[in-house]
Amino acid sequence: MFLLYTSIAGGGTPSVKPSELAAQEGPVSLVGQVVGRPTGDANAEGLRFRLHDVKDPSSPTVLVVYKGSVPDLFASGRDLVVEGELRNGTFVATPGTMVTKCPSKYTAIKPSDQ
Amino acid sequence: MADLGRAALLLTLGLCLYACIVGTVAAVTRKRRLAMSARNALIASFGSTLVATTILVAGFVRNDYSLVYVAETSSRSLGGIYKVSALWGGQEGSLLLWLLILTGYAALAVWLNRNRTRDLVVWVTPVLGGIAVFFSFLLVAVASPFVTQVAPLDGSGLNPSLQNPYMMSHPPFLYLGYVGLAVPFAFAMGALLSGRTDERWIVATRRWTLIAWTALGIGQLLGSHWAYLEVGWGGFYAWDPVENAALMPFLAATAFLHSVMIQEKRGMLKVWNMVLVSLAFCLSIFGTFLTRSGVVNSIHSFAQSSIGAWFLAFIVIAVVFSTVTIVWRLPLLRSTTKLESLISREAVFLYNNLLLVALCLTILWGVAWPILSEAVRGDSVVVGRPYFDFFLRIFGLPLLLLMGVGPLIAWRRASLRGLGATFFWPISIAIGTGVVLLILGAGSSIPGLIAYTFSAFVLAAIGLEFVRGTRARRALSSESWPVAFGSLVGRNRRRYGGYIVHVAIVLFAIGVAGASAYDSVVEGRLAKGEALTVSGYTVRYVGLSERQTDHATEVRAKLAVSKDGKNLGGLEAGKNSYKIAGLEPQVSSEVGVRTDYLTGEDLFVIPETIYDDGSMYFRIFVKPLVNLLWLSGLVFLLGSIIALWPDARVQRRLAVRYEEASSPVRGR
Repeated sequence: MFLLYTSIAGGGTPSVKPSELAAQEGPVSLVGQVVGRPTGDANAEGLRFRLHDVKDPSSPTVLVVYKGSVPDLFASGRDLVVEGELRNGTFVATPGTMVTKCPSKYTAIKPSDQ
Repeated sequence: MADLGRAALLLTLGLCLYACIVGTVAAVTRKRRLAMSARNALIASFGSTLVATTILVAGFVRNDYSLVYVAETSSRSLGGIYKVSALWGGQEGSLLLWLLILTGYAALAVWLNRNRTRDLVVWVTPVLGGIAVFFSFLLVAVASPFVTQVAPLDGSGLNPSLQNPYMMSHPPFLYLGYVGLAVPFAFAMGALLSGRTDERWIVATRRWTLIAWTALGIGQLLGSHWAYLEVGWGGFYAWDPVENAALMPFLAATAFLHSVMIQEKRGMLKVWNMVLVSLAFCLSIFGTFLTRSGVVNSIHSFAQSSIGAWFLAFIVIAVVFSTVTIVWRLPLLRSTTKLESLISREAVFLYNNLLLVALCLTILWGVAWPILSEAVRGDSVVVGRPYFDFFLRIFGLPLLLLMGVGPLIAWRRASLRGLGATFFWPISIAIGTGVVLLILGAGSSIPGLIAYTFSAFVLAAIGLEFVRGTRARRALSSESWPVAFGSLVGRNRRRYGGYIVHVAIVLFAIGVAGASAYDSVVEGRLAKGEALTVSGYTVRYVGLSERQTDHATEVRAKLAVSKDGKNLGGLEAGKNSYKIAGLEPQVSSEVGVRTDYLTGEDLFVIPETIYDDGSMYFRIFVKPLVNLLWLSGLVFLLGSIIALWPDARVQRRLAVRYEEASSPVRGR
């Protein structure tokens, strides 16, 4: 079924992790975990932060520049999804596409996470 | 107090074990008094679970932070009512709520059916008892909510995003739905184990299934509305695994609700119904597993979570148990009739079932594939929105169409000529709507256009059914139109309640298509007195105010809204800052929404940033038709209640049927 889908709907936006980003061309949906301190203003020149693979601190990170609505739950250590495209080593996000997930599911991992 | 709580849970485990083991022995040896004893144990387990829950709630109310669970999900500054909802703010409490609802349902189900379907209920007791054993075991041995510690001064608090009125309603409704599916499952297994595979188990649980299904639907819509109002949750539906967790059992239960009608009317699909009810139940457990084990984040957090492996084991047991039982009883599940034509109402029901199950399984695959891939290959993949959207269109649009076809087509065998006459009006209206929409420029989204055309078709078909039925009643009894309409619905509650639910689904489809395709947005930084304009609305930033409540600082921007020069009054949007001792303050954005009840349009103001100079950055959306989603929830509830409402005539008919079925000479 999945093969059927990938063959038919190849035109959709693929979802990738930061570590797979280099091999991708064109717009993708990036899923990752925020590391370090974000800087900048999402309403002006853009919010800048780094993402690595979810739950894999050793994976390579990518710099993301994002403009638009910033979810309340956006913070270092959170998982998020953002759409955009890699340009010259920086992931330029499509404005307003950042999504974090329902916080209830963080409860199970809190002790080890924070 | 914690000791008392632990003791109560231990007692629950004991009672459920007794109900399960002794109940099985009683059913096999046909000992009536033993069966009654097992049943009473199951009913009593509700009492002991209630005691445990009350103790935990009391812990929250009294700020008893010697309980680890209370300290982790509550704090002194937490607003009164949220102290109660913090009960299900974490894992252990959620499991306790599961068990409470399960034992409550179980007690009610075996009590209400104590004098009917006796041969079947003796098997229902051990099945429900077995499920409750699993949850009470988890609460006693693996994830106890009554673990104690040296009490800290304050708790770490409930996540601010969860301090929302929807926290009071959304999770309990979902649980009422999830857990409710255990009852039809237990009756189905009871029917198989006792060998009484006539449709009494379906009749006995029809209402249970409907209640569970309705609660699941309403729970999801409440969650949708919640996500709609929270910034950055991806709108009303984001295909998040946690959201899919509730959608899958809902789809399976929807298929089940339809296919049981075929078994009742035509004696077909007996095996299929057993499979569906088992699927719905297993998916409800799987859904709880998904939301509670942390497996969706990563296989690694799953390994850290204490309950994950137990849940997985229970799911395997449930799947194996139901499969083996169904296969063992296959000879008893032969259809009494065959499908006569591919153009008939039962055939349409069958197509509907296949589509619903296909949609359900593709979603399941989309949820499970990343987990499996990570477990097997160590490489995580992400299945995103395009995958789900694609299959929603592939399976959802035909489903929509079938909703219009089903009610109009005849049972057994429909003639093509009759069909032409029946469908003349709905098809004409649908094509007319399509053409008008195309002229108005809706052709920009082809799936949207198809959805609207199909919706028009379904609404026309349902409208036609109501008109025809009312006309027939008038001819029969010369009642006035409203009276005839009322008695039409009143005498066929299940049927017309169902049609009303169909209308709700259509409204939902229109809302989804409209809200995602046609919204407009404007954004900008405003100093006091400045304004933004979008789609005829003008939003002026008037000033800023600050309120101090017990648990948060609430900053609000006052906005003045006008449309086409007409003053529409004020609106507020801002941010709440929750302070918890020793932690960084947690901020929650509070959007401002102004609903136009006439057009179903929302003006949606997101307060992005409050700058030090008092200026603010706003992002303002106009979302047309989105309120149809929430309206559809009300219509859905209305239809379900009509379908659920007890009908004395039907009750009498059923009583006769029970008599016949219980008498030694059985036959249909």
